[in-house]
Amino acid sequence: MNSSEIKKLLISSLDSDADTIEVSGKLQEEGISYNFSKSFGDKVIDRIFSAGVTVIREVEFVKNLNFAFYRIALTGVAAIVVLLISIFLMEGSISFNSFLGLSDSYDESIVCLLTGN
Amino acid sequence: MIKESYNVTDDIELIKASLDGDKKAFGQIVTRYQKMVARTVKGMLGDSVFAEDVGQEVFIKLYYSLSEFRGEAKLSTYIQRIAVNLTLNEIKKRKKFFSMFAQKGNNEMYEFEVADHNTEERREASEIVNKALLAMDPKFRIIVTMRMLQGYSTKETAEILNMPLGTVLSRLSRAQEQLKNILEKL
Repeated sequence: MNSSEIKKLLISSLDSDADTIEVSGKLQEEGISYNFSKSFGDKVIDRIFSAGVTVIREVEFVKNLNFAFYRIALTGVAAIVVLLISIFLMEGSISFNSFLGLSDSYDESIVCLLTGN
Repeated sequence: MIKESYNVTDDIELIKASLDGDKKAFGQIVTRYQKMVARTVKGMLGDSVFAEDVGQEVFIKLYYSLSEFRGEAKLSTYIQRIAVNLTLNEIKKRKKFFSMFAQKGNNEMYEFEVADHNTEERREASEIVNKALLAMDPKFRIIVTMRMLQGYSTKETAEILNMPLGTVLSRLSRAQEQLKNILEKL
């Protein structure tokens, strides 16, 4: 089969009434077949019945942990930015005091509060 | 004919033996269905290094979910569903990874090796199929893979992909349009 015949076959295979079994058979005759390596089965069995799977699961866990960390870190940064913007809008500046919510307090009043005098 | 039909009773016996820890029984399941899984995974991902790993993951996931298999669907359908889900997940992962480093199209994401073929014509045919498939949108590619490489009917495709028949039919016609455009450029 030349390339234009292959292309026609591929397009016609997507007709709703196409004989899909015939198309897939023809493609296989043209050498379009897929398979895994010869040791595929052994590798699968080894991975299942050896400690390999535990290692893979641990790696998966670390990957998921990393993914979760990035999501949490990004959310945290976004929350801090929103907080700073809201402080700036309410207080008109981003000082340390306004960040801590102490903009209306004097140092003396805090000392009084702490010492009770 | 591509679509294999296996004895359902055999499958159930093999599953029971596998659940009892019989390595050989599970090995037989792997041998029986690995070509089917290869067509789905390699059809979707190309003949790439990831494809073999995803193929292994399919059978590992199957092993750990064998106890959940109730026998309502055929084992082949159950395995196909796992293969489709893991393959689509892999595509999403790769897409995310590649989009972080470079703006590349899907068809440039995978390097694929064309298996040894006897003639130049066969090599060309294989290249056309692989390139066309990889250039397609994954949601269309999966439907094309199921029909073209696996030989499933529209109804069987809908059952495996857990989609209404109407959705499969509409995607089929859109996939055909996309495939025509891709093949014109090849």
